[in-house]
Amino acid sequence: MKIIMKPIEMIAWFNNTNYPIPLRFRVETENKTNIVIKIDKIVFKEMQKIAGNRMIVYRCEGIISGLQRTFELKYEIDTCKWYLFKM
Amino acid sequence: MNDRIVFHIDVNSAYLSWEAAHNLQMGSNIDLRNVPSIVGGDQEKRHGIVLAKSIPAKKYGIKTGESVYSALEKCPELIVISPHYDIYMKASKAMVDFLYDYSPLIQRYSIDEVFLDYTNGNLPYMEAAMKIKEGIKKELGFTVNIGIGPNKLLAKMASDFTKPDKIHTLFYDEIEKKMWPLPVEDLFMIGYRTKKKLNSRGIFTIGELAHLDRDYIYSWLKKPGLLIWEYANGIENSDVKISKSKVKSIGNSTTLPFDVSTKEEAMKVLLGISEMVGMRLRELNIKAEVISVSLKTSEFFSYSHQKKLNIPTSSTNTIYKTALALFEEMWDNSSLRCFSISLSSLVYDDFIQLSFFENFNEKELILDKSIDNIRKKFGQSSVIRSAFLYSGIDPIIGGVVAEENYPMMSSYL
Repeated sequence: MKIIMKPIEMIAWFNNTNYPIPLRFRVETENKTNIVIKIDKIVFKEMQKIAGNRMIVYRCEGIISGLQRTFELKYEIDTCKWYLFKM
Repeated sequence: MNDRIVFHIDVNSAYLSWEAAHNLQMGSNIDLRNVPSIVGGDQEKRHGIVLAKSIPAKKYGIKTGESVYSALEKCPELIVISPHYDIYMKASKAMVDFLYDYSPLIQRYSIDEVFLDYTNGNLPYMEAAMKIKEGIKKELGFTVNIGIGPNKLLAKMASDFTKPDKIHTLFYDEIEKKMWPLPVEDLFMIGYRTKKKLNSRGIFTIGELAHLDRDYIYSWLKKPGLLIWEYANGIENSDVKISKSKVKSIGNSTTLPFDVSTKEEAMKVLLGISEMVGMRLRELNIKAEVISVSLKTSEFFSYSHQKKLNIPTSSTNTIYKTALALFEEMWDNSSLRCFSISLSSLVYDDFIQLSFFENFNEKELILDKSIDNIRKKFGQSSVIRSAFLYSGIDPIIGGVVAEENYPMMSSYL
């Protein structure tokens, strides 16, 4: 996996447990088109507090242009922003 | 008394470590700690000094406090990052929160230094220190030095021995071996001037200072002399202060992007700083009796004057008028780059003693209060003095982080 760290548009499910659950996100590709990726499975999630900045890291699986891929998402709690961290 | 265990936890090159950890979290692929890099002020605005440096930058001989320009001369490929105080506040707070798991007795000494009383801790102190050090590294992503001693002074001295990511102890029986061979300027509270004084009488190590006769040092350097003599002998017994210590003085300063050579401009700068310090005083419900102004010329020569007022004040106008009078007294028409106003002898403003010889205008109090309220509600620039229009000088000058209470270093343990 390579570090990408790109802000993404996200549809997530906030239930009554601790963590929001990412469902689907849209990201701009290199040729300026948007693709939507559905999250099929969350492999694990982890709370990070590096330098006091809380972020939740999700290792996920989903299908991107016909291939099953693993990628990591980050949710920054203070700013409520989602990032595609690694792919 | 003898069995106190105090930890001093000190973040290794704090600003830089925090920037590096934050950048890594945000997906950067270089760790700033492993390349020559510094956190430094804005050179364009002439705030260009080195605030923190990485260990590789230290190898080029770059020192904290020197100008960014000379640092770049020493190492042209140096990476310069501007400071982000919000990140540092967050990181510092996270560290303090983490430490509360180990002891409730915590004193936040500055943004990157914490005293922790571990006298009644559950674990053996070395094990606890290891856990703290590794825990902070793993969870928060930066390294700390921990000094362990029987009082705050020795703990602080111990955390300074060798860096980074280390634990040192300094107990009474180790003073002779670990602290006394160090040069005298490494002792807490000994600055450049005291060092020169001590050196002039042949005192070069902490041990030499410690062995002086108590009466001799008192007759020579008076009370501060006794204090450093006690420190050199490891004598210090202040508590780890849980609550915030009382404010002793309030001041703001500014280095301007250009040199000031006319009186009109200087007046505006002083007014801008007066606005800031006045607001801060009133926010804390205190008044000040002593006002001091200091100036730095473009040749880096500085001088200052101060005045004691008959009535303690928190009014922007009074502060400004006094500051201006002090300024006129000492200014020799040289061009100035840095102004500061500092207020001390603070008293709580439950009541004030008036004076026959000075005017006291209650309306000013009310006016200042109303202006503060408007600014609080609608932002700092909602009401400004018209003198600042088109002047290119900020109407309210100074402050690191305007909203949050930024823990500053102090010389009191």
